Amino acid sequence: MEVFEYGGYAGQLLRVDLTKGEVKKEPLSKELCTLYIGGRGRDAKILYDELPPEADPLSPDNILCISTGPITGLLGVTTGRLNVAAKSPLTGIYGNSNAGAHWGPELKYAGYDGIVVKGKSPKPVYLYIEDDLVEFRDASHLWGKGVLETTSILQRDHGDHDLKVAAVGPAAENGVLYGCLIFDYWDAAGRAGTGTVMASKNLKAITVRGTGALRVANPNRYMEVVRETWQALLEEPGFRTQEHAALGTPVILAVGNAQGWLPTRNFRETVFERAYDIAGEAFRDRFSIKESPIPGGRACLSCPNRCKRFGRIESGKYAGTKGGIEFETLAAFGSKCGIGDLEAVFHASMIANDLGVDTISCGNTIALFMELHEEGILSHEELEGLDLHFGNAEAMVEMIHRIAQKKGKLGELGALGVRRAAKAIGKGAEKYTTDVKGLETIGTDPRVAIGFGFGYAVSSRGSDHLRAHPVFEMLPYFRGVAEELFGSKEACMLGAFGGKVRLVFWHENMAAVTDSMGTCRFMHASFYPEYPIPEIVSKQFKGGKKLPSLKYYEWLSAATGIPFTYETLLRAGERIIAIERALNTRFGIRRKDDTLPSRFFNQPVPSGKFKGRIFPRDRFETMLDEYYELRGWDKSTGLLTEDKLLELDMRDVADDLKGRGLLASKVRMKTAKEKE
Amino acid sequence: MKKLIFNPEKCTGCRACELACSFSCEGLFIPNKSRIKVARIDEEGMDIPMGCFHCDQAPCMLLCPVRAIYFDKDMGGVLINHDKCIGCRLCMTACPFGAISYDSERRLVYKCDLCGGDPECVKWCFTQALIYEEAETLAKDKRSKKVESTVAALTAAARLVVPGRG
Repeated sequence: MEVFEYGGYAGQLLRVDLTKGEVKKEPLSKELCTLYIGGRGRDAKILYDELPPEADPLSPDNILCISTGPITGLLGVTTGRLNVAAKSPLTGIYGNSNAGAHWGPELKYAGYDGIVVKGKSPKPVYLYIEDDLVEFRDASHLWGKGVLETTSILQRDHGDHDLKVAAVGPAAENGVLYGCLIFDYWDAAGRAGTGTVMASKNLKAITVRGTGALRVANPNRYMEVVRETWQALLEEPGFRTQEHAALGTPVILAVGNAQGWLPTRNFRETVFERAYDIAGEAFRDRFSIKESPIPGGRACLSCPNRCKRFGRIESGKYAGTKGGIEFETLAAFGSKCGIGDLEAVFHASMIANDLGVDTISCGNTIALFMELHEEGILSHEELEGLDLHFGNAEAMVEMIHRIAQKKGKLGELGALGVRRAAKAIGKGAEKYTTDVKGLETIGTDPRVAIGFGFGYAVSSRGSDHLRAHPVFEMLPYFRGVAEELFGSKEACMLGAFGGKVRLVFWHENMAAVTDSMGTCRFMHASFYPEYPIPEIVSKQFKGGKKLPSLKYYEWLSAATGIPFTYETLLRAGERIIAIERALNTRFGIRRKDDTLPSRFFNQPVPSGKFKGRIFPRDRFETMLDEYYELRGWDKSTGLLTEDKLLELDMRDVADDLKGRGLLASKVRMKTAKEKE
Repeated sequence: MKKLIFNPEKCTGCRACELACSFSCEGLFIPNKSRIKVARIDEEGMDIPMGCFHCDQAPCMLLCPVRAIYFDKDMGGVLINHDKCIGCRLCMTACPFGAISYDSERRLVYKCDLCGGDPECVKWCFTQALIYEEAETLAKDKRSKKVESTVAALTAAARLVVPGRG
């Protein structure tokens, strides 16, 4: 094979047609690299170009993309990420999810930047990849088995404890709409049901072994940049506390509770009285197995942050439970269900992992049922003997099994997710749902965390924080940066509105870039070593030392040889958001869909620091106008505009949308002021 | 004498060492050719760094028929003299840790050479699961760690508040 011109990339895509039983290797398109970088960006473009918009998500017509970025697999900070994308069976629109671990890098060492899966196999198979050798193998012995057992069997069968395995669980096979794809036992591409799409193709797993090399365009410069990025992270004030390394993402549970935004009992409340029983500290003290230097930390490739936990329950009812835990899972099965029993929540996390369901969607669905029962909408008979009230841990665990197996009427309903289940139940159940575009809301209350909340409304996959992820708004010490970068010091304050749209805009663009590079979100959100924030901080503290900064554009340029600048990279971010919006436009998404559940507009927060708060609807609409203005979308419809698409070098997309009558009719002209 | 020491308890499995090693030795990111390897046992949440332990009674050295493998006292390392090596690969079978590999393209056995006394992997190990230092100090460090934890345990037993826990 010829050496690919750009560094960092492996240089080819694997195209798999399960209907025909064919595998093709295709050279990577250079244009895709310069415009969409890789990972999330490339996947969205492939779906845009190849997926018929009307395709049924669970039919052979749907396309499953798994993609790494140019930085995946290299030395650096956080180079283990990959992206999974398809049309979501849960939401019916664009769906994708990001995962870490070591599977993505292994795929690149095997020589592939990504896999595009089409069609449907006549019988269960798994895809075996060992460098140049790629073939389908029979998976009938694995069908119906959990993710953990499947992975273990495959490793043993191939005599390789280090074989990298991506697998789906029984929930995905049974058609639960939010089944996920799990990498290396524990790392989930959790959201939007990509695992269910994979299972619908009769593809149980993908194993990878790669022995090849990755080169970078400019090795000396690359190592310089990596040393700087590494240093920038180590010196970042948030990172220096080592809280994140010590507790992983669960560190935020106690913080969220204290700040008053921890969703409790299906978002009825925002403060949970038993939060400390399920907090990261409790997990560390009770279950973490690694003692030193900091308990429990495991890392994705080349990451000094090591946010992954590993723990074990040695005795009692849930003995034998093992694995990690994340904040979102603690909130979903814990506070949202009103459950303060950490052992039960940890156990629920493991079985959800093994059965292969998204813990956020699953926990929210159970929490909804609990509330519907308490409100008298789901009767005792409809619960089929299950005492589903807030705080009942056993019922919660049982419910996960029922959902995964689609057992009984309740299991069938649960498998649909919040929006479809509420619709099927009727009787006003929709009033209690908390999804946006059909995707369940994560563990941060939008009435308090305004930036997060606004981000849920405009996110391309539905209610989720990992589009914007503006953790910045929880860090009040960034007042100076907030003023300079987002135009208002309120941008770093919870409960405030100033600068929040620009905050979301910047974070969304950066996030699109990092998801496409194959690096982790935490490098510019949660931690803030990313350019230009350290520069602004250094400038404001005159006489203080100059903080090192992490610069995605230098990093990418040194790796690939494509000359990026801060500005062109942000535009790449905009372009990636635009291609996702274009996809969603074809799936029918308009301005009316960019909204929040009515609960957040109407029901005041009942207690805590932010008691009485709602997300005022008129305020929200003004913010949406401002956001569309920034994005260059049409304000009345939410459609993309031609001049914006052309400005982003997306003529092909503009022409296609125009042909379908999906481009805003009035071309918005830029004012002289904006042009400056 | 300095020694390269691997500590699985501290290893997070990030494999930055593998990437740094392969880049330093091969100019490429190719973990397969890294002289150090981290076995990630994901099922049990364990990470085990493995490489050349630079043994004092190194079986590879003892078995080499042409004495191409020697002990370098300054570095505390077991090294290969490629001018003498005949490529019989007996050392590979002798090594109990699988620390010696063979490059079929270049027809060469290769292993960790401690980067000439300044190992690259150690520089990238953020948790100090890999250290390269005087072997004598290791026992002392472990003793003081143990003393610290014993003091903490006794303090807790005396029902005093230990900061940072609970």
